[in-house]
Amino acid sequence: MANLLWMQTGACSGDSMSLLNADGPSIEGLLRSGEIELLWHPSLSDLPAGAFGRLVERIESGQQPLDILCIEGSIITGPYGSGMFDSHRGRPKMQIAAALAARARTVVAMGTCAAFGGVHAAPPNPSDAIGLQYDHADPGGLLDADWRSSDGRPVINLAGCPVHPLTITRTLSMLAADIPFELDFLNRPAVFYSSTVHQGCTRNEYHEYDVEDHEPGGKACMYFNLGCQGPGTLANCNAELWNNRSSKTRAGVPCFGCTSPNFPRDGDLFRTDKIGDVPITLPLGVSRARYMAYKNLAKAAAPVRLIKRQMEP
Amino acid sequence: MARRTIGVDLNRVEGDLEFEVDLEGERIVDARCVGTLFRGFEQLLVDRAPRDALVITPRVCGICGTAHLYAAVLSLERLGGLAVPPQATLIRNLCLMAENVQSDLRQTFLFFVPDFVNRRYANHPLAAEIAEAFAPLKGSAAIGALGVSRRILQVVAIFGGQWPHSSYMLPGGVTRGANPRDIVDCRELVGSTIDWLEEAVFGDRIDAFLALDSLDALERWLADPARLRKALPLLCRFSRSVGLDRIGGGARSFLSGGSYHDPERWSPPYDRQETLLAAGLYDADDGALNAFDPALITEHVRHSWFRPYEGGRHPFAGETVPDYQPGGDRYTWAKAPRYGERVVETGPLAELLAAGDMLCRDILTTLGPNTWLRQFARLRRAATTLTWMRSHVTALAGRIGEPHFRNPDDDALAEGDGFGIVQAARGMLGHWVQVRDGRIARYQIVTPTAWNASPKDSQGRHGHWEQSVIGVTLADPDDPVELGHIVRSHDPCLVCTVHFAGSGKRVRYGI
Repeated sequence: MANLLWMQTGACSGDSMSLLNADGPSIEGLLRSGEIELLWHPSLSDLPAGAFGRLVERIESGQQPLDILCIEGSIITGPYGSGMFDSHRGRPKMQIAAALAARARTVVAMGTCAAFGGVHAAPPNPSDAIGLQYDHADPGGLLDADWRSSDGRPVINLAGCPVHPLTITRTLSMLAADIPFELDFLNRPAVFYSSTVHQGCTRNEYHEYDVEDHEPGGKACMYFNLGCQGPGTLANCNAELWNNRSSKTRAGVPCFGCTSPNFPRDGDLFRTDKIGDVPITLPLGVSRARYMAYKNLAKAAAPVRLIKRQMEP
Repeated sequence: MARRTIGVDLNRVEGDLEFEVDLEGERIVDARCVGTLFRGFEQLLVDRAPRDALVITPRVCGICGTAHLYAAVLSLERLGGLAVPPQATLIRNLCLMAENVQSDLRQTFLFFVPDFVNRRYANHPLAAEIAEAFAPLKGSAAIGALGVSRRILQVVAIFGGQWPHSSYMLPGGVTRGANPRDIVDCRELVGSTIDWLEEAVFGDRIDAFLALDSLDALERWLADPARLRKALPLLCRFSRSVGLDRIGGGARSFLSGGSYHDPERWSPPYDRQETLLAAGLYDADDGALNAFDPALITEHVRHSWFRPYEGGRHPFAGETVPDYQPGGDRYTWAKAPRYGERVVETGPLAELLAAGDMLCRDILTTLGPNTWLRQFARLRRAATTLTWMRSHVTALAGRIGEPHFRNPDDDALAEGDGFGIVQAARGMLGHWVQVRDGRIARYQIVTPTAWNASPKDSQGRHGHWEQSVIGVTLADPDDPVELGHIVRSHDPCLVCTVHFAGSGKRVRYGI
């Protein structure tokens, strides 16, 4: 049992929509069972106008305890460090977020924007957006690198643009029920961020034999030419299907690496940057010389049914 | 009479909305609609590869990203003079329809009707029925809407991999075509959504509901005891009992850019909006439908926190340089779009009026524009859209194996101007792009909520929402439920009132 305040900063509501998409656990199920008590969600609460401001006051003054604080959206610090590009009743949201974080038992960055800065922090970062505890992969977020909430944890980063629906509700459920879990090197719950997007992709057999597409709309692998970041991105997109149905790479859309701190990367997003014939960014942890040797052998072994694109991804 | 100003922040909209209203007694005599967020999306696009807009712009809005993707791809195709295979247009439409149905159901049952359980209505004769159906995240209609909105989005996931935020529409088509399994799955998803609407919302066959063509016919239909407790009749009875059919009129001009491009006729040079539902400006006063001309769109910044310019500018000449100056007569991060100098409303009601929906036109003629009609039109649009989805799935089955993508030449997107206009869930959405030397030089977006939530323009004309609340009497200024009803009936999306700054070089406005 835990109470929850969900606040939006510089956001698109995509993570809130992802929350509504989760069907097990679902938000209505978490509320019905009493695991989660919703103090506030901007899209879902039915409290009268002005209620958010009053709730923030009670939490800041210590009258209202706060268990889980979810922040959705980049922390907008512009213009000139004032935060007034993103305000609530004349007060910068970044100030409200910091004040609530100081009182919360656990703080969750809901999405890549809140975790690392996200799309709004892409060059030239016109609104001076940062994450809660990171500026991309580095310290320099709203909160210091050694900041901890009252349960002793750093900000828990649920990366993704948006976060996978079930990653949201499962994390909330783990927090509410005090189920222990580990964080990875970017403070993401390791249980959801330890496999690559490539793992489980139904184009995998094409990749295995280096059967690569050169233009969009095809059936084969998109890693070598079409910008796919799947082999280098940690996320569960192909292990836990989206909307219970599919994933971007299965549908022929390259992975853009949206759980990574440098999303969106500053280059042509539908093209792979290469050295010679091989992508600059190799599959996670692989050495270039050995990878080239492996790919040359694999290409030679490719079966005709793959070369002819007979396999439906 | 003494004038006082109150600030009202409204939730259950997408993003942040604040209103400042000036009251004389309890009557609103002036209003300022305040957009409180600037994210600078255009600057993120300047200097990038043209196709990057297909990844960046859906992230303007988590709830209508498919519409942004569609508008972005149309802009690039117009720029490059690229043809689209009919199968691709069918798939794009089907995905946009699924997103719109999702949005209409969530907006109605999660965002709009919770105001009906406000403490002000605790003694209303329908209070028990309202609570059973509409209690936030608990009522039967709310739970049902959560379930079907999740399922209908699977149509997008089939073709795009996920919803929200995918990039499966590319200049030249879509990333995958339909196979027989997809057809079966889409039929089931559309069919089960229609089943729920017929059972829980309409209490009738969807085609019978859509055949209603006058307010008299609707009133007879609503009075049928068999469906009194179904969600739509309940919503109508309650809305009209508390006078929502008498408030919130607003601009009286309705703009639709036309819904769903015609797969057969949508082809270069793209000099007409070839859509299945007609585009146009519908005038509430004379009932005339005027042809839609995108050249008439301008944006004003006289009352917005941007570097001032004279009058209004077409998006291809637009600029948006943030200039935050608190304390003056500028009050919002939203611009003021105008159509040939007219203040207009956009949304499902505008879409149906332009498309010739006789029921909506008759209600408008009889009662005038109002809050109930606007919300009613949203559920009617969902029904209309689902019938289009049904016929699209059938048409798609006939095109299995046809091309779904034609790869453009390398230099097809290197230079030029383009724009794309679609009907998103909340109304007309337009993207305007200019590419120079293979890089985006300017990107402007005019969103539905920018039209509806616009501030005053350089002529001092109030935006549509401001007009729709001025003159309303608040029973309790501390809990202005009337304002909530009126504004939420527009399905506001403040995250979508994006601000697209400058052109040419990447510029930082912060430190």
